[in-house]
Amino acid sequence: MPYFGSEETVKELKRALANPHVQADRLRYKNYITKVIRYMTQGLDVSALFMDMVKASATVDIVQKKLVYLYMCTYASDKPDLALLAINTLRKDCADPNPMVRGLALRNMCNFRMPGMPEYIEQPIVAGLRDKASYVRRVAVLGCAKLHNLQPYTDMDGSIVNELYALLRDPDPVVVVNCLRALEEILKDEGGVVINKPIAHHLLNRMKDLDSWAQSEVLTFLLRYRPRSDDELFDILSLLDAFLQSAHAHVSVSTLRLFLHLAAAHPAVQADALLHTSAPLLATCGSASRELRFAGLCHVQQVMRSQPGLFGTHYKRFFCGYSEPSYIKFRKMEILVELVNDENVALVLEELRSYCTDVSPELAQAAIAAIGRIARTYSEKCLDILTGLLALKQDHITSAVIQTFRDLVWFCPQSTAAVCQTVEACVDNPQDSEGKQALLWLLGEHGEQISSAPYVVEGYIDGLKTELSSAVKMELLSASVKMFLCRPAETQDMLGRLLHYCIEEESNMCVRDRALLYYRLLQRGVEETRKAVTGPKSDPSMSVLTGRQEEPISLWASAFNTLGPLSGRDLCLQTVIISASAQPSSSAEEELLPGSKDVTLSCPNDTEEEISLSLGPPLSHETFEKMWLDLEILHRQTLGFPRPKAAADTLQAALQLVKIQTLAFTPGDTVPWKAYLYTRGTGTLILAELLQEDPEAPGTEGSLVVSVKQQPANQHTIRGFVAIIKSVFQTLNFDRL
Amino acid sequence: MIGGLFIYNHKGEVLISRVYRDDIGRNAVDAFRVNVIHARQQVRSPVTNIARTSFFHVKRSNIWLAAVTKQNVNAAMVFEFLYKMCDVMTAYFGKISEENIKNNFVLIYELLDEILDFGYPQNSETGALKTFITQQGIKGQPQTKEEQSQITSQVTGQIGWRREGIKYRRNELFLDVLESVNLLMSPQGQVLSAHVSGRVVMKSYLSGMPECKFGMNDKIVIDKQGKGGTTDDAGKSSGKQSIAIDDCTFHQCVRLSKFDSERSISFIPPDGEYELMRYRTTKDIILPFRVIPLVREVGRTKLEVKVVIKSNFKPSLLAQKIEVRIPTPLNTSGVQVICMKGKAKYKASENAIVWKIKRMAGMKESQISAEIELLPTNDKKKWARPPISMNFEVPFAPSGLKVRYLKVFESKLNYSDHDVIKWVRYIGRSGIYETRC
Repeated sequence: MPYFGSEETVKELKRALANPHVQADRLRYKNYITKVIRYMTQGLDVSALFMDMVKASATVDIVQKKLVYLYMCTYASDKPDLALLAINTLRKDCADPNPMVRGLALRNMCNFRMPGMPEYIEQPIVAGLRDKASYVRRVAVLGCAKLHNLQPYTDMDGSIVNELYALLRDPDPVVVVNCLRALEEILKDEGGVVINKPIAHHLLNRMKDLDSWAQSEVLTFLLRYRPRSDDELFDILSLLDAFLQSAHAHVSVSTLRLFLHLAAAHPAVQADALLHTSAPLLATCGSASRELRFAGLCHVQQVMRSQPGLFGTHYKRFFCGYSEPSYIKFRKMEILVELVNDENVALVLEELRSYCTDVSPELAQAAIAAIGRIARTYSEKCLDILTGLLALKQDHITSAVIQTFRDLVWFCPQSTAAVCQTVEACVDNPQDSEGKQALLWLLGEHGEQISSAPYVVEGYIDGLKTELSSAVKMELLSASVKMFLCRPAETQDMLGRLLHYCIEEESNMCVRDRALLYYRLLQRGVEETRKAVTGPKSDPSMSVLTGRQEEPISLWASAFNTLGPLSGRDLCLQTVIISASAQPSSSAEEELLPGSKDVTLSCPNDTEEEISLSLGPPLSHETFEKMWLDLEILHRQTLGFPRPKAAADTLQAALQLVKIQTLAFTPGDTVPWKAYLYTRGTGTLILAELLQEDPEAPGTEGSLVVSVKQQPANQHTIRGFVAIIKSVFQTLNFDRL
Repeated sequence: MIGGLFIYNHKGEVLISRVYRDDIGRNAVDAFRVNVIHARQQVRSPVTNIARTSFFHVKRSNIWLAAVTKQNVNAAMVFEFLYKMCDVMTAYFGKISEENIKNNFVLIYELLDEILDFGYPQNSETGALKTFITQQGIKGQPQTKEEQSQITSQVTGQIGWRREGIKYRRNELFLDVLESVNLLMSPQGQVLSAHVSGRVVMKSYLSGMPECKFGMNDKIVIDKQGKGGTTDDAGKSSGKQSIAIDDCTFHQCVRLSKFDSERSISFIPPDGEYELMRYRTTKDIILPFRVIPLVREVGRTKLEVKVVIKSNFKPSLLAQKIEVRIPTPLNTSGVQVICMKGKAKYKASENAIVWKIKRMAGMKESQISAEIELLPTNDKKKWARPPISMNFEVPFAPSGLKVRYLKVFESKLNYSDHDVIKWVRYIGRSGIYETRC
């Protein structure tokens, strides 16, 4: 927040902090320090006070110390040289007899983000790991992760990792979990912390001591463990059984995810777990806080994808409260539609009808669409309701009802007659373009059953000049032509006018081209036109596709209890990709999304077929270099095997076969080995770098790393590209063997 | 995990900002303000994604709390964490309001420092936190040796939620059964949905490491005893009604294995106030009030409303803080109200008639009638008729739950169950209590 006279304020504070009288009065001094933090919170740059604040850190007052540390952590990266001054005080505090002071000093020392820091903090961290107070150990363990973040790949990583693995047996539960967290961050390039049998069992036995946050996290870590035998599997499951009913929604959902994952081969166990969790899930849906309710509903939706019947008897729980926020209401309606059966249909419809008059037009329209969905099975009752809604004569409702009618007629032809009757009786027409399109489609497709159809269409043709939406105009063209085919006498004249206007005066190219197309079609004769224009009037087979279907649990289990379910079904996949391809700032996310990896690994053949690469015009070295510098890396992946030892020509030829051009590569066995490639696919240009580090370097294991840049970005193509690269190298490696 | 925590007031001014991880830049604070708080539209989802960063936000009165992360995290956990944070803050300084946050600004930074480290939750139990951070702010006095050793033992002990060596001169415990009853009723008086969500909150001031056993009129337990117990026992339990609990969850101190096998609730309680259990019932709910609405449209410019409320509980009990909110159309020009009891007022800003009654005994009836004058409008929109909502507080548990006993055993110290002073209180409040009209 920009402040007027901010420089004045800073100067004033500086004067006050340097004033010896103020410094002598402890309370006043602290007040000024509080003020500095307050300005910092508001976004004012108070970094100029760094020197004075460092002085203030030498105090016995813990609260003042904390404030100063908070200040220093924020600005240390801006003033690294001055921050070094504070280190002596901090190091002294690390040896304080009070464990709280030790912990505080260590934590803040690790929080300073500046170069040159690691050499000062290494020693206190190692000492902290062996401290007798668990409070200090907790801090020290996370300090290891911070240290690694600050300076990856130091020589001491190895010894720290061993020490952290040993600390997994610490008596303090928080230390144990912190160890897992720290190891996960330090080892992220190698796939995170290893959960072997002894560790897994140790964690399972400690579960009860942990707090709920830690339980949730440990359950996520355990996803990585594969039991050796069925006996072991069932032992684990019975240990975890109690957590399915945990007081905390997040723990019970995490447990459910682990259950589904572990028992992938035992559908009966999975079903049983779902049944067990349904009560806590429902409780979450009715919880007092709306955000949690929302999260609960999203997860219920996921579960219903496989077990639609699980919540059938609880449908009343998904009735909306009047004051609930719309995001909850939308979800509840979606669930209600899925839960409809012969017994509750009347009550559910009654409920949905009351939402149709909601103040928010969006919500009302969603409710109408929901009734439309139910109408595919219970058309008669729903049609009555929808017809009743038309009588309200409200624009947004009318429009939504007409749109629902259009979809309904398409899915269940048996309702056509009733719909046509209603449409004929409906006097006022929708005002928005979506609604107009729907009405025109109905009139065109079923014109012979609606006696007033030509007059309604004529009204639209007369008002053509004021119509703004080109989509409506296109629909109008189609409708008029279709109507002409079944009722030529009434329509001929106005169709002529319409075509004339659209061809001569219309400025929108799409509309004009469509009009020209129809004009030329009509020139070839009515029969030809009929053949081209009319198609099936409904598609009942579609309802099989859109109807309820029990999906296998594995389809959603991998994204369960992540952000995926909350962002909606359509966004689900997208989120997965985004998070996986985001800068590898942490490995936890890659681990949390096993699905995204599996996709690329398990079905490289499918992806390969879907994308087609081409060579296109060659790129010059200069262009490539320029683009490489301009673009950002969109995807980076460790391929998991070393580079093939085949000769350079073989490699180049092999890549050329799959339409990937090699631009340059390091000759022979030089280390690190690099190669630059490019190719084109589905309208985008892909640039890639292959890199093999020294096989002796820690953390890489001599595996090949591919980094991809692309213009314009298209995740799908990238995945395909990586899959192709993989298969090529695998083939080459195989040959060598 | 959580990359940063921000607290804003309703205008979007930052009250507290604490960043835990590097991947959250300083501009994240502003991104949330611009995209969510200052956005014109309604909140579309409690999780907002801005530039690959997820903002989990919760609103408490006028205050926004937001947790920020770049990773794909467990959403329910982040929300529960935010609630927990609110609870901790409430325990320290009361209601979460702009003023309280500004006044306790240093304390909040201290708390945030302790609760999360590097974005990972560390210690969120209020009781345990209070040994680290006292409200007075430790005023420069280095801690005594004793306190230091307490910290060490507190975090290394087997039982994380209770420290050893607690002593009270008077052993006392308070049990509060707090329920909120939710109802959605059709105009014809048909119950569309009703459920009670309840909490048993315990305040314990007990010495040593006491073992407690809690009993209530849970149907499963009563039935079991009725079958196998002595005639005397059966006679007692049949006199009392038992209730069916749909689902219940416990504080981590309760031994779940024992609950699963014998349905008995035994535990070593934390010191001070905590929530022992949370439960939900949907069957045989005592609805404390019945609302009977009658709305008649007289012509296009007048509306007659008559609402009768009936209290449905023992005449000896008194309900308090009764408030009935009758919504009125947007084009209301004037309202005349007559009520038999309490005070009623038309609040134009809220589009509602608010009828308040201080106290009301059971099995009574009261009535309000109002004439609402409407301005003629061309707006064809029909009035959506929002439901009539009600607030109240009653001194019994609408679910029918009764505490049968709470026994305290402490083998090492010499006080017995009889020496403990026990208090039980039932409070039933309205949750969302609505009747459509």
